[in-house]
Amino acid sequence: MSELADAIADLKEDEVKKIVQDKIASGTNPMSIVDECRRGMEIVGQRYKNKEYFLGELIMSGEIFKEAMAAIEPNLKAGQCGKPLAKMVLGTARGDIHNIGKDIAATLLKAAGFEIFDVGVDAAPEVFVNKLKETGAPILGISGLLTPSFESMKQTVQALEAAGLRDKVKVIIGGGIVTEVVRKYVGADAFTDDAPEGVELCKKLAGEVR
Amino acid sequence: MIKETMTPTRRTWAAIKLEPCDRIPVAPLMDVMFPSRHRGMTVAEGISHPRRGFQAIVDTFNDVGGWDAMILPGYSLPIPPSIAAVMQVVIGDTRYPGKEPGFSLDSSPQFIEKELLTIEDYDEIIKLGWTGFAEKHLGRFFPLDPEILLAWTKRQMDRYRTEGEVWKARNIPSLCGSIVMSPLMFLSTRRSLVSFTQDLYRFPDKVQAVMDAMIDDLIVFAIEAARTTGIPGVELILERGGCFYYPLRIFERFEFRYMKKMIDAFAGEGLITVMHFDQDWTLNLPYLLDLPKKMCVCELDSTTDIFKAKEILKNHMCIMGDVPASLSSIGTPQEMQAYCEKLIDHIGKGKTGFILSTGCTIPFDAKFENFQVMINSVKNHLPQG
Repeated sequence: MSELADAIADLKEDEVKKIVQDKIASGTNPMSIVDECRRGMEIVGQRYKNKEYFLGELIMSGEIFKEAMAAIEPNLKAGQCGKPLAKMVLGTARGDIHNIGKDIAATLLKAAGFEIFDVGVDAAPEVFVNKLKETGAPILGISGLLTPSFESMKQTVQALEAAGLRDKVKVIIGGGIVTEVVRKYVGADAFTDDAPEGVELCKKLAGEVR
Repeated sequence: MIKETMTPTRRTWAAIKLEPCDRIPVAPLMDVMFPSRHRGMTVAEGISHPRRGFQAIVDTFNDVGGWDAMILPGYSLPIPPSIAAVMQVVIGDTRYPGKEPGFSLDSSPQFIEKELLTIEDYDEIIKLGWTGFAEKHLGRFFPLDPEILLAWTKRQMDRYRTEGEVWKARNIPSLCGSIVMSPLMFLSTRRSLVSFTQDLYRFPDKVQAVMDAMIDDLIVFAIEAARTTGIPGVELILERGGCFYYPLRIFERFEFRYMKKMIDAFAGEGLITVMHFDQDWTLNLPYLLDLPKKMCVCELDSTTDIFKAKEILKNHMCIMGDVPASLSSIGTPQEMQAYCEKLIDHIGKGKTGFILSTGCTIPFDAKFENFQVMINSVKNHLPQG
């Protein structure tokens, strides 16, 4: 494993900054730096799965990854970013303004190679539908922390059906209180209450829509 | 219907003290939202008209045939008359139904998490203590005359006491005369989760110093509120310090040491602590054996493994919970019945040490028929096996 990937996995914030700057200064291909950062995030995900890491470490690694990307991105030439794993529209359901879970999921999904179109919080069904039409994203993630968000999620899935998009878009719902019962009620394809598990499920959904 | 031989008060306290009960007690965590909707008001009306909101709770109690205890008597806040105490409770930005265009009249109030406290504030709290900090910086959070805030505090406290008396007259005990957050919970919600997490990893010693500077004040506020309300318990709000969020080394250093200091102090005053655990605390459960025996209630929201909690804590403290919010709002009465009976059988085994409750507050969009099934379940079903 590379020094940079290890530094990210070990949450060594200052070390990551220095390695990234040195690599940029020495003319290393920026995409290879991004790949190393992503490998570091994969190790973080593995440690989370093994219960060595918890949400706090996911948050820290996500912030470190974001800082690294902010330094790398200006050095990427147009078209050098590589093809995303998949496009995905993400937002918090109407009536719910909680953004923390959604934002953590967005960071981890980006680190895993997804292109995320974040429609924010309190998003109405038509906002999700319009963004899906605009981007052609085949995955929709809806977050919610309150029980009324179940109804909004359901209405969003119904709006997808009405727009003729349901068979083209996989829907995953996430949040602290979602369960299999909620997934069935909403009509979603998958659910999660765990951000790294959500990333894995999204990878699986991306494989299904390819 | 099970033949009852105990009053609700005796039954509830027997469960807390791990003594035999005639049946399992039930005590939903209740605010005005679900009752307001049930009684034909909007959530916004119930919140904006405290007396009508409280009356809706009483009416709901009657409609459902009664329950055994109130965890908190109503929807008001027991805050001692000091600026530092009120600052600890109310700094924040909450979105209320009916107060903003586009926000449905039937919505839960939602706390908008943002960085209200800064890194520089940490240094000020360490230097001045929480009381000194609060008094110096009140104007930054509330551009109001302190007397206005204190008058509001007094009204809240008076209402809290009155609400407690209403239940007492019905022989329904209120368990908590005081509400307080752990220092970690307070700082995490006022710094915001991401920034606070960065603080924990970047400058842990400073965070600890802030907690050291706050803890005694938090204990004093909680004890004073419980004394004033005359209700011998404290609701300790815990979410962000458990194993869903952080590894045990962080829990031990930044959460448990302060929790224990608070709960020991409350027990020293004869007050029980209802530990309101949101999110998953399963890995943290063994630590609770170090807290005073029979002086705590472990209140779970359905994300912690309640069966594991029973296995670990059965001879040490009462467990309360944990009907999932989703079951209340979109489950069927049959599913609710099955879930409650499973809890009664397993967590209520031995007919003690368990109080059936909602996992966190009952959601405002819960179905009344589901709630009725939950309340009835303890009246018709004794622990089997």
